[in-house]
Amino acid sequence: MIQFLNVTKFYESQAAIKNITLTIEKGELAFLTGPSGAGKSTLLKIIYLSERPDEGNVTIADWDLSKLKESSIPFLRRNIGVVFQDFRLLDNRNVFDNVAMTLRIQGALEDEVKERVMDILKIVNLRHKADSFPKALSGGEQQRVVIARAIVGEPTILLADEPTGNLDSDTASGISRLFKDINATGTTVLIATHNKELFRNTGRRVIRLDNGNITGEEIG
Amino acid sequence: MYLLYSLKLAMQSIWREKWINLLSMLTIGAGLFMITLTFLIVYNMDLATKKLPEKFSMMLYLNEGVSEQDAENIAAGLKRNPAIERAKYISKDKALEELKGILKNSAYVLEGINENPLPASIEIKLNRKSIGVSSVKTLAADFKKIKGVEEVEYGERFLNSIHSIKTGVQTLSLVVIGIMSVGIIFVCYSTVKIMFYRRKEEIETFKLLGATKGFIRAPFVIEGSILGAFGGLVSAACMLAFHYALFYKLVPIMPILKIVVFPSEIFAALPLVGLVLGINGAIISIGKIRFY
Repeated sequence: MIQFLNVTKFYESQAAIKNITLTIEKGELAFLTGPSGAGKSTLLKIIYLSERPDEGNVTIADWDLSKLKESSIPFLRRNIGVVFQDFRLLDNRNVFDNVAMTLRIQGALEDEVKERVMDILKIVNLRHKADSFPKALSGGEQQRVVIARAIVGEPTILLADEPTGNLDSDTASGISRLFKDINATGTTVLIATHNKELFRNTGRRVIRLDNGNITGEEIG
Repeated sequence: MYLLYSLKLAMQSIWREKWINLLSMLTIGAGLFMITLTFLIVYNMDLATKKLPEKFSMMLYLNEGVSEQDAENIAAGLKRNPAIERAKYISKDKALEELKGILKNSAYVLEGINENPLPASIEIKLNRKSIGVSSVKTLAADFKKIKGVEEVEYGERFLNSIHSIKTGVQTLSLVVIGIMSVGIIFVCYSTVKIMFYRRKEEIETFKLLGATKGFIRAPFVIEGSILGAFGGLVSAACMLAFHYALFYKLVPIMPILKIVVFPSEIFAALPLVGLVLGINGAIISIGKIRFY
Protein backbone atom coordinates (compact mmCIF):
# COMPACT_ATOMS: atom_id res chain seq x y z
CA MET A 1 0.00 0.00 0.00
CA ILE A 2 2.83 2.39 0.96
CA GLN A 3 6.35 1.84 -0.34
CA PHE A 4 9.46 3.92 0.28
CA LEU A 5 12.56 3.05 -1.74
CA ASN A 6 15.84 4.73 -0.71
CA VAL A 7 14.01 7.96 0.17
CA THR A 8 15.92 10.98 1.44
CA LYS A 9 14.55 14.41 2.32
CA PHE A 10 16.71 17.44 3.06
CA TYR A 11 15.78 20.62 4.89
CA GLU A 12 18.42 23.26 4.07
CA SER A 13 21.12 20.64 3.43
CA GLN A 14 20.21 18.80 6.66
CA ALA A 15 18.72 15.35 5.95
CA ALA A 16 15.42 14.85 7.83
CA ILE A 17 15.17 11.26 6.61
CA LYS A 18 18.02 9.32 5.05
CA ASN A 19 17.81 6.53 2.50
CA ILE A 20 14.62 5.07 3.96
CA THR A 21 13.25 1.84 2.51
CA LEU A 22 9.95 0.79 4.01
CA THR A 23 6.76 -1.04 3.08
CA ILE A 24 3.40 -0.77 4.82
CA GLU A 25 1.00 -3.48 3.69
CA LYS A 26 -2.62 -2.92 2.76
CA GLY A 27 -4.85 -3.14 5.84
CA GLU A 28 -1.89 -2.97 8.23
CA LEU A 29 -1.82 -0.92 11.43
CA ALA A 30 1.76 0.16 12.10
CA PHE A 31 3.51 2.60 14.38
CA LEU A 32 6.44 4.93 13.73
CA THR A 33 8.28 5.85 16.85
CA GLY A 34 11.39 7.69 17.87
CA PRO A 35 12.48 10.88 19.60
CA SER A 36 11.59 14.38 18.43
CA GLY A 37 13.39 15.22 15.18
CA ALA A 38 13.72 11.55 14.23
CA GLY A 39 11.90 12.18 10.94
CA LYS A 40 8.47 10.69 11.79
CA SER A 41 6.48 13.76 10.70
CA THR A 42 8.58 14.20 7.55
CA LEU A 43 7.85 10.64 6.55
CA LEU A 44 4.12 11.19 7.00
CA LYS A 45 4.29 14.52 5.12
CA ILE A 46 5.85 12.74 2.15
CA ILE A 47 2.97 10.25 2.18
CA TYR A 48 0.29 12.92 2.18
CA LEU A 49 2.27 14.93 -0.37
CA SER A 50 2.94 17.96 1.75
CA GLU A 51 6.65 17.38 1.08
CA ARG A 52 8.48 15.97 -1.90
CA PRO A 53 11.37 13.53 -1.45
CA ASP A 54 14.71 14.79 -2.75
CA GLU A 55 15.93 11.30 -3.52
CA GLY A 56 14.35 7.87 -3.91
CA ASN A 57 10.91 6.74 -4.90
CA VAL A 58 7.56 6.57 -3.10
CA THR A 59 4.57 4.53 -4.24
CA ILE A 60 1.16 4.86 -2.62
CA ALA A 61 -1.64 2.53 -3.67
CA ASP A 62 -0.11 2.10 -7.14
CA TRP A 63 0.47 5.85 -7.54
CA ASP A 64 4.14 6.53 -8.27
CA LEU A 65 4.65 9.92 -6.63
CA SER A 66 7.58 10.84 -8.86
CA LYS A 67 5.32 10.55 -11.91
CA LEU A 68 2.25 12.09 -10.30
CA LYS A 69 0.92 15.24 -12.03
CA GLU A 70 0.23 18.19 -9.73
CA SER A 71 -3.41 18.20 -10.82
CA SER A 72 -3.78 14.60 -9.52
CA ILE A 73 -2.54 15.44 -6.01
CA PRO A 74 -6.00 16.40 -4.63
CA PHE A 75 -7.45 13.09 -5.79
CA LEU A 76 -4.68 11.09 -4.12
CA ARG A 77 -5.07 13.14 -0.94
CA ARG A 78 -8.76 12.22 -0.82
CA ASN A 79 -7.65 8.62 -0.30
CA ILE A 80 -5.49 9.59 2.66
CA GLY A 81 -7.04 10.75 5.92
CA VAL A 82 -4.67 12.71 8.12
CA VAL A 83 -4.79 13.41 11.84
CA PHE A 84 -2.51 16.43 12.01
CA GLN A 85 -0.30 17.07 15.01
CA ASP A 86 -1.51 20.68 15.15
CA PHE A 87 -5.13 19.59 14.44
CA ARG A 88 -5.70 22.20 11.67
CA LEU A 89 -9.28 22.75 12.78
CA LEU A 90 -11.01 25.85 11.44
CA ASP A 91 -11.91 27.97 14.46
CA ASN A 92 -14.64 29.91 12.65
CA ARG A 93 -16.58 26.73 11.82
CA ASN A 94 -18.41 24.43 14.18
CA VAL A 95 -17.63 20.75 14.66
CA PHE A 96 -20.17 19.69 12.04
CA ASP A 97 -18.74 22.01 9.38
CA ASN A 98 -15.15 21.05 10.20
CA VAL A 99 -15.94 17.38 9.65
CA ALA A 100 -18.21 18.08 6.67
CA MET A 101 -15.38 19.95 4.95
CA THR A 102 -13.81 16.69 3.73
CA LEU A 103 -17.05 15.59 2.08
CA ARG A 104 -17.86 18.99 0.61
CA ILE A 105 -14.40 19.12 -0.96
CA GLN A 106 -15.19 15.75 -2.54
CA GLY A 107 -18.40 17.19 -3.94
CA ALA A 108 -20.86 15.17 -1.83
CA LEU A 109 -24.50 16.23 -1.81
CA GLU A 110 -25.64 18.09 1.27
CA ASP A 111 -28.10 15.37 2.39
CA GLU A 112 -25.33 12.80 2.21
CA VAL A 113 -22.97 15.16 4.05
CA LYS A 114 -25.47 15.57 6.88
CA GLU A 115 -26.05 11.85 7.25
CA ARG A 116 -22.41 10.77 7.12
CA VAL A 117 -21.11 13.51 9.38
CA MET A 118 -23.69 12.70 12.05
CA ASP A 119 -22.83 8.99 11.79
CA ILE A 120 -19.12 9.69 12.20
CA LEU A 121 -19.71 12.08 15.10
CA LYS A 122 -21.65 9.28 16.77
CA ILE A 123 -18.68 6.93 16.33
CA VAL A 124 -16.29 9.44 17.96
CA ASN A 125 -18.94 10.22 20.57
CA LEU A 126 -19.26 13.90 19.68
CA ARG A 127 -22.76 14.06 18.24
CA HIS A 128 -23.87 16.32 21.08
CA LYS A 129 -21.05 18.75 20.22
CA ALA A 130 -21.92 19.14 16.54
CA ASP A 131 -22.77 22.82 16.94
CA SER A 132 -19.82 23.66 19.21
CA PHE A 133 -16.79 25.55 17.97
CA PRO A 134 -13.29 24.04 18.34
CA LYS A 135 -12.18 26.62 20.92
CA ALA A 136 -14.98 25.44 23.23
CA LEU A 137 -13.77 21.80 23.14
CA SER A 138 -11.21 19.99 25.30
CA GLY A 139 -7.97 18.68 23.75
CA GLY A 140 -9.35 15.13 23.58
CA GLU A 141 -12.56 16.33 21.94
CA GLN A 142 -10.63 18.36 19.39
CA GLN A 143 -8.52 15.30 18.64
CA ARG A 144 -11.66 13.24 18.03
CA VAL A 145 -13.01 15.93 15.68
CA VAL A 146 -9.78 15.71 13.70
CA ILE A 147 -10.09 11.92 13.56
CA ALA A 148 -13.71 12.24 12.46
CA ARG A 149 -12.67 14.65 9.71
CA ALA A 150 -9.92 12.25 8.61
CA ILE A 151 -12.16 9.17 8.35
CA VAL A 152 -15.46 10.65 7.16
CA GLY A 153 -14.31 10.44 3.52
CA GLU A 154 -13.62 6.69 3.98
CA PRO A 155 -9.94 6.89 3.01
CA THR A 156 -7.91 3.79 2.24
CA ILE A 157 -5.02 5.12 4.33
CA LEU A 158 -5.17 6.89 7.69
CA LEU A 159 -2.11 8.74 8.96
CA ALA A 160 -1.88 10.12 12.49
CA ASP A 161 0.90 12.39 13.70
CA GLU A 162 1.26 12.28 17.50
CA PRO A 163 -2.48 11.68 17.97
CA THR A 164 -2.25 11.40 21.75
CA GLY A 165 0.18 14.22 22.44
CA ASN A 166 -0.95 16.27 25.46
CA LEU A 167 -3.86 13.92 26.18
CA ASP A 168 -4.45 12.12 29.49
CA SER A 169 -4.04 8.35 29.50
CA ASP A 170 -7.79 7.57 29.54
CA THR A 171 -8.44 9.77 26.52
CA ALA A 172 -5.34 8.37 24.81
CA SER A 173 -6.51 4.78 25.24
CA GLY A 174 -9.94 5.76 23.88
CA ILE A 175 -8.27 7.23 20.81
CA SER A 176 -6.12 4.12 20.47
CA ARG A 177 -9.24 1.93 20.46
CA LEU A 178 -10.72 4.17 17.79
CA PHE A 179 -7.73 3.58 15.51
CA LYS A 180 -8.01 -0.17 15.98
CA ASP A 181 -11.70 -0.01 15.06
CA ILE A 182 -10.91 2.03 11.96
CA ASN A 183 -8.20 -0.46 10.99
CA ALA A 184 -10.68 -3.31 11.49
CA THR A 185 -12.73 -1.89 8.62
CA GLY A 186 -9.77 -2.48 6.27
CA THR A 187 -8.17 0.96 6.40
CA THR A 188 -4.37 1.01 6.44
CA VAL A 189 -3.31 2.98 9.53
CA LEU A 190 0.11 4.48 10.20
CA ILE A 191 0.60 6.28 13.49
CA ALA A 192 3.64 8.39 14.35
CA THR A 193 4.05 8.62 18.10
CA HIS A 194 6.59 8.74 20.87
CA ASN A 195 3.97 7.51 23.34
CA LYS A 196 4.98 3.91 24.05
CA GLU A 197 1.66 3.21 25.76
CA LEU A 198 -0.06 3.58 22.43
CA PHE A 199 1.65 0.54 20.84
CA ARG A 200 2.54 -1.55 23.88
CA ASN A 201 0.93 -5.00 23.72
CA THR A 202 -0.87 -4.24 20.49
CA GLY A 203 0.84 -7.03 18.54
CA ARG A 204 1.41 -4.53 15.74
CA ARG A 205 4.58 -3.57 13.88
CA VAL A 206 6.57 -0.72 15.44
CA ILE A 207 9.20 0.97 13.25
CA ARG A 208 11.90 2.84 15.13
CA LEU A 209 13.36 5.99 13.62
CA ASP A 210 16.31 7.97 14.89
CA ASN A 211 18.09 10.87 13.27
CA GLY A 212 16.37 10.18 9.95
CA ASN A 213 17.28 6.48 9.82
CA ILE A 214 15.27 3.34 10.51
CA THR A 215 17.05 1.85 13.49
CA GLY A 216 14.84 -1.15 14.03
CA GLU A 217 11.48 -2.87 13.87
CA GLU A 218 9.62 -4.83 16.53
CA ILE A 219 6.18 -6.10 17.41
CA GLY A 220 4.50 -3.94 20.03
CA MET B 1 -22.35 20.92 -6.23
CA TYR B 2 -19.34 22.68 -4.78
CA LEU B 3 -20.34 25.88 -6.59
CA LEU B 4 -23.25 26.26 -4.18
CA TYR B 5 -20.89 25.75 -1.28
CA SER B 6 -18.39 28.20 -2.84
CA LEU B 7 -21.20 30.76 -3.17
CA LYS B 8 -21.97 30.26 0.54
CA LEU B 9 -18.27 30.74 1.43
CA ALA B 10 -18.09 33.89 -0.72
CA MET B 11 -21.21 35.35 0.92
CA GLN B 12 -19.85 34.56 4.37
CA SER B 13 -16.54 36.23 3.50
CA ILE B 14 -18.29 39.32 2.13
CA TRP B 15 -20.40 39.59 5.26
CA ARG B 16 -17.42 39.03 7.58
CA GLU B 17 -15.44 41.83 5.92
CA LYS B 18 -18.44 43.97 5.05
CA TRP B 19 -16.77 47.36 5.48
CA ILE B 20 -13.79 46.59 3.23
CA ASN B 21 -16.15 45.10 0.67
CA LEU B 22 -18.54 48.04 0.83
CA LEU B 23 -15.67 50.45 0.29
CA SER B 24 -14.45 48.38 -2.66
CA MET B 25 -17.92 48.34 -4.22
CA LEU B 26 -18.23 52.13 -3.90
CA THR B 27 -14.75 52.62 -5.40
CA ILE B 28 -15.59 50.30 -8.29
CA GLY B 29 -18.90 52.16 -8.72
CA ALA B 30 -17.11 55.52 -8.90
CA GLY B 31 -14.58 54.16 -11.41
CA LEU B 32 -17.29 52.69 -13.62
CA PHE B 33 -19.23 55.97 -13.43
CA MET B 34 -16.17 57.83 -14.75
CA ILE B 35 -15.71 55.26 -17.51
CA THR B 36 -19.36 55.62 -18.53
CA LEU B 37 -19.15 59.41 -18.62
CA THR B 38 -16.09 59.18 -20.85
CA PHE B 39 -17.86 56.64 -23.03
CA LEU B 40 -20.86 58.96 -23.37
CA ILE B 41 -18.62 61.81 -24.55
CA VAL B 42 -16.96 59.59 -27.18
CA TYR B 43 -20.28 58.09 -28.22
CA ASN B 44 -21.90 61.48 -28.77
CA MET B 45 -18.82 62.81 -30.52
CA ASP B 46 -18.85 59.81 -32.84
CA LEU B 47 -22.54 60.29 -33.60
CA ALA B 48 -21.94 63.96 -34.42
CA THR B 49 -19.05 63.21 -36.78
CA LYS B 50 -21.03 60.44 -38.47
CA LYS B 51 -23.57 63.07 -39.53
CA LEU B 52 -20.78 65.12 -41.14
CA PRO B 53 -20.80 63.36 -44.56
CA GLU B 54 -24.40 64.50 -45.15
CA LYS B 55 -23.16 68.09 -45.15
CA PHE B 56 -19.74 67.62 -46.71
CA SER B 57 -19.25 68.47 -50.40
CA MET B 58 -16.40 69.35 -52.78
CA MET B 59 -16.62 72.05 -55.43
CA LEU B 60 -14.77 71.73 -58.73
CA TYR B 61 -14.62 75.19 -60.39
CA LEU B 62 -14.26 74.97 -64.14
CA ASN B 63 -12.23 77.08 -66.59
CA GLU B 64 -13.98 79.87 -68.46
CA GLY B 65 -13.71 78.11 -71.80
CA VAL B 66 -15.33 74.80 -70.83
CA SER B 67 -18.54 74.21 -72.76
CA GLU B 68 -21.70 72.94 -71.15
CA GLN B 69 -21.29 69.60 -72.99
CA ASP B 70 -17.70 69.20 -71.76
CA ALA B 71 -18.79 70.05 -68.22
CA GLU B 72 -21.56 67.40 -68.37
CA ASN B 73 -18.99 64.90 -69.67
CA ILE B 74 -16.67 65.69 -66.76
CA ALA B 75 -19.58 65.22 -64.32
CA ALA B 76 -20.54 61.90 -65.97
CA GLY B 77 -16.89 60.74 -65.73
CA LEU B 78 -16.79 61.66 -62.06
CA LYS B 79 -19.96 59.70 -61.35
CA ARG B 80 -18.12 56.53 -62.41
CA ASN B 81 -15.62 57.03 -59.55
CA PRO B 82 -16.63 54.66 -56.70
CA ALA B 83 -15.69 57.30 -54.13
CA ILE B 84 -18.34 59.67 -55.48
CA GLU B 85 -21.98 59.36 -54.59
CA ARG B 86 -23.27 62.33 -56.62
CA ALA B 87 -21.79 64.85 -59.08
CA LYS B 88 -23.97 67.77 -60.11
CA TYR B 89 -23.08 70.31 -62.79
CA ILE B 90 -23.90 73.93 -61.87
CA SER B 91 -23.75 76.35 -64.81
CA LYS B 92 -22.66 80.00 -64.47
CA ASP B 93 -26.29 81.11 -64.77
CA LYS B 94 -27.52 78.60 -62.22
CA ALA B 95 -24.76 79.70 -59.83
CA LEU B 96 -25.81 83.35 -60.18
CA GLU B 97 -29.42 82.40 -59.69
CA GLU B 98 -28.53 80.53 -56.49
CA LEU B 99 -26.48 83.51 -55.28
CA LYS B 100 -29.38 85.84 -55.92
CA GLY B 101 -31.60 83.52 -53.93
CA ILE B 102 -29.14 83.64 -51.04
CA LEU B 103 -28.77 87.44 -51.23
CA LYS B 104 -32.42 88.24 -51.79
CA ASN B 105 -32.46 90.64 -48.85
CA SER B 106 -29.16 92.25 -49.90
CA ALA B 107 -29.71 92.35 -53.67
CA TYR B 108 -27.92 95.69 -53.87
CA VAL B 109 -24.61 93.82 -53.55
CA LEU B 110 -25.07 92.59 -57.10
CA GLU B 111 -26.17 95.95 -58.51
CA GLY B 112 -23.81 97.34 -61.14
CA ILE B 113 -22.42 93.92 -62.06
CA ASN B 114 -23.19 93.51 -65.74
CA GLU B 115 -21.32 90.33 -66.43
CA ASN B 116 -21.78 87.08 -64.49
CA PRO B 117 -18.51 86.76 -62.50
CA LEU B 118 -19.26 83.28 -61.17
CA PRO B 119 -17.57 80.23 -62.69
CA ALA B 120 -19.39 77.09 -63.70
CA SER B 121 -18.79 74.28 -61.25
CA ILE B 122 -19.45 70.66 -60.37
CA GLU B 123 -20.65 69.88 -56.85
CA ILE B 124 -19.53 66.50 -55.57
CA LYS B 125 -20.93 64.48 -52.70
CA LEU B 126 -18.57 61.73 -51.55
CA ASN B 127 -19.43 58.33 -50.16
CA ARG B 128 -19.40 58.12 -46.35
CA LYS B 129 -16.38 55.79 -46.45
CA SER B 130 -14.36 58.15 -48.66
CA ILE B 131 -14.55 61.09 -46.29
CA GLY B 132 -11.22 61.14 -44.53
CA VAL B 133 -8.48 63.73 -44.33
CA SER B 134 -5.99 61.89 -46.53
CA SER B 135 -8.50 60.35 -48.96
CA VAL B 136 -10.19 63.70 -49.61
CA LYS B 137 -6.80 65.33 -50.14
CA THR B 138 -5.83 62.65 -52.70
CA LEU B 139 -9.19 62.96 -54.47
CA ALA B 140 -8.84 66.76 -54.61
CA ALA B 141 -5.40 66.41 -56.18
CA ASP B 142 -6.77 63.92 -58.73
CA PHE B 143 -9.72 66.17 -59.59
CA LYS B 144 -7.40 69.11 -60.12
CA LYS B 145 -5.64 67.16 -62.87
CA ILE B 146 -8.86 66.82 -64.88
CA LYS B 147 -8.74 68.94 -68.01
CA GLY B 148 -11.06 71.94 -67.62
CA VAL B 149 -10.93 72.02 -63.80
CA GLU B 150 -9.37 75.22 -62.54
CA GLU B 151 -9.80 74.94 -58.80
CA VAL B 152 -10.95 72.36 -56.27
CA GLU B 153 -12.40 73.59 -53.02
CA TYR B 154 -13.46 71.74 -49.91
CA GLY B 155 -13.41 72.54 -46.19
CA GLU B 156 -9.85 71.34 -45.72
CA ARG B 157 -9.27 73.18 -42.47
CA PHE B 158 -12.71 72.23 -41.17
CA LEU B 159 -12.10 68.57 -42.03
CA ASN B 160 -8.65 68.67 -40.40
CA SER B 161 -10.04 70.27 -37.23
CA ILE B 162 -12.86 67.75 -36.92
CA HIS B 163 -10.43 64.90 -37.52
CA SER B 164 -7.97 66.24 -34.92
CA ILE B 165 -10.68 66.78 -32.32
CA LYS B 166 -12.14 63.32 -32.93
CA THR B 167 -8.74 61.62 -32.74
CA GLY B 168 -7.79 63.63 -29.64
CA VAL B 169 -10.99 62.84 -27.79
CA GLN B 170 -10.82 59.17 -28.76
CA THR B 171 -7.22 58.84 -27.59
CA LEU B 172 -7.88 60.67 -24.34
CA SER B 173 -10.97 58.55 -23.73
CA LEU B 174 -9.11 55.34 -24.39
CA VAL B 175 -6.44 56.43 -21.90
CA VAL B 176 -9.07 57.36 -19.28
CA ILE B 177 -11.06 54.15 -19.83
CA GLY B 178 -7.84 52.09 -19.75
CA ILE B 179 -6.59 53.69 -16.53
CA MET B 180 -9.98 53.43 -14.81
CA SER B 181 -10.38 49.79 -15.88
CA VAL B 182 -6.94 48.92 -14.53
CA GLY B 183 -7.90 50.82 -11.35
CA ILE B 184 -11.07 48.76 -10.93
CA ILE B 185 -9.20 45.51 -11.54
CA PHE B 186 -6.65 46.65 -8.95
CA VAL B 187 -9.38 47.38 -6.36
CA CYS B 188 -10.83 43.88 -6.87
CA TYR B 189 -7.31 42.43 -6.86
CA SER B 190 -6.43 44.10 -3.54
CA THR B 191 -9.70 43.22 -1.85
CA VAL B 192 -9.57 39.57 -2.89
CA LYS B 193 -5.86 39.42 -1.99
CA ILE B 194 -6.65 40.62 1.54
CA MET B 195 -9.35 37.94 1.85
CA PHE B 196 -6.97 35.36 0.42
CA TYR B 197 -4.26 36.16 3.00
CA ARG B 198 -6.76 36.19 5.85
CA ARG B 199 -7.86 32.71 4.85
CA LYS B 200 -4.40 31.38 4.03
CA GLU B 201 -4.43 28.76 6.80
CA GLU B 202 -7.90 27.64 5.87
CA ILE B 203 -6.79 27.28 2.23
CA GLU B 204 -3.79 25.20 3.29
CA THR B 205 -6.14 22.89 5.21
CA PHE B 206 -8.46 22.67 2.19
CA LYS B 207 -5.50 21.62 0.05
CA LEU B 208 -4.46 18.91 2.50
CA LEU B 209 -8.02 17.57 2.60
CA GLY B 210 -7.97 17.11 -1.18
CA ALA B 211 -9.43 20.35 -2.52
CA THR B 212 -8.81 21.00 -6.21
CA LYS B 213 -7.58 24.36 -7.51
CA GLY B 214 -11.11 25.05 -8.75
CA PHE B 215 -12.59 24.46 -5.29
CA ILE B 216 -10.05 26.86 -3.73
CA ARG B 217 -10.42 29.53 -6.40
CA ALA B 218 -14.21 29.48 -6.80
CA PRO B 219 -15.20 31.41 -3.61
CA PHE B 220 -12.69 34.17 -4.42
CA VAL B 221 -13.76 34.45 -8.04
CA ILE B 222 -17.40 34.59 -6.91
CA GLU B 223 -16.47 37.23 -4.35
CA GLY B 224 -14.65 39.30 -7.00
CA SER B 225 -17.57 38.99 -9.39
CA ILE B 226 -20.06 40.04 -6.69
CA LEU B 227 -17.89 43.07 -5.82
CA GLY B 228 -17.64 44.01 -9.51
CA ALA B 229 -21.32 43.46 -10.27
CA PHE B 230 -22.48 45.43 -7.22
CA GLY B 231 -19.98 48.17 -8.08
CA GLY B 232 -21.63 48.18 -11.51
CA LEU B 233 -25.05 48.50 -9.90
CA VAL B 234 -23.80 51.44 -7.82
CA SER B 235 -22.54 53.16 -10.98
CA ALA B 236 -25.81 52.36 -12.80
CA ALA B 237 -27.70 54.07 -9.96
CA CYS B 238 -25.37 57.09 -10.24
CA MET B 239 -25.91 57.12 -14.01
CA LEU B 240 -29.66 57.07 -13.49
CA ALA B 241 -29.34 60.10 -11.21
CA PHE B 242 -27.10 61.80 -13.80
CA HIS B 243 -29.63 61.01 -16.56
CA TYR B 244 -32.42 62.54 -14.47
CA ALA B 245 -30.35 65.64 -13.66
CA LEU B 246 -29.32 66.11 -17.30
CA PHE B 247 -32.70 65.71 -18.99
CA TYR B 248 -35.09 66.95 -16.32
CA LYS B 249 -33.06 69.67 -14.59
CA LEU B 250 -30.41 70.93 -17.05
CA VAL B 251 -32.22 70.66 -20.41
CA PRO B 252 -34.90 73.22 -19.45
CA ILE B 253 -32.09 75.65 -18.61
CA MET B 254 -29.77 74.70 -21.51
CA PRO B 255 -31.90 73.28 -24.37
CA ILE B 256 -28.77 72.49 -26.42
CA LEU B 257 -28.16 69.53 -24.11
CA LYS B 258 -31.23 67.92 -25.66
CA ILE B 259 -28.95 66.63 -28.45
CA VAL B 260 -27.07 64.40 -26.01
CA VAL B 261 -27.82 60.75 -26.80
CA PHE B 262 -27.99 58.49 -23.75
CA PRO B 263 -28.21 54.80 -24.73
CA SER B 264 -30.34 52.92 -22.21
CA GLU B 265 -28.24 49.75 -22.69
CA ILE B 266 -25.68 51.39 -20.40
CA PHE B 267 -27.76 50.53 -17.34
CA ALA B 268 -27.72 46.82 -18.16
CA ALA B 269 -24.10 46.84 -19.33
CA LEU B 270 -22.62 48.40 -16.19
CA PRO B 271 -23.16 45.44 -13.79
CA LEU B 272 -21.87 43.11 -16.53
CA VAL B 273 -18.73 45.21 -17.11
CA GLY B 274 -18.22 45.33 -13.32
CA LEU B 275 -18.64 41.56 -13.13
CA VAL B 276 -16.04 40.92 -15.85
CA LEU B 277 -13.53 43.36 -14.29
CA GLY B 278 -14.18 41.84 -10.84
CA ILE B 279 -13.56 38.30 -12.07
CA ASN B 280 -10.34 39.44 -13.75
CA GLY B 281 -9.11 41.13 -10.57
CA ALA B 282 -9.90 38.03 -8.50
CA ILE B 283 -8.18 35.63 -10.92
CA ILE B 284 -5.05 37.80 -11.03
CA SER B 285 -4.94 38.11 -7.23
CA ILE B 286 -5.23 34.37 -6.54
CA GLY B 287 -2.44 33.65 -9.00
CA LYS B 288 -1.00 30.18 -9.26
CA ILE B 289 -1.99 27.61 -6.64
CA ARG B 290 0.70 25.11 -5.69
CA PHE B 291 0.11 21.89 -3.82
CA TYR B 292 3.68 21.44 -2.54
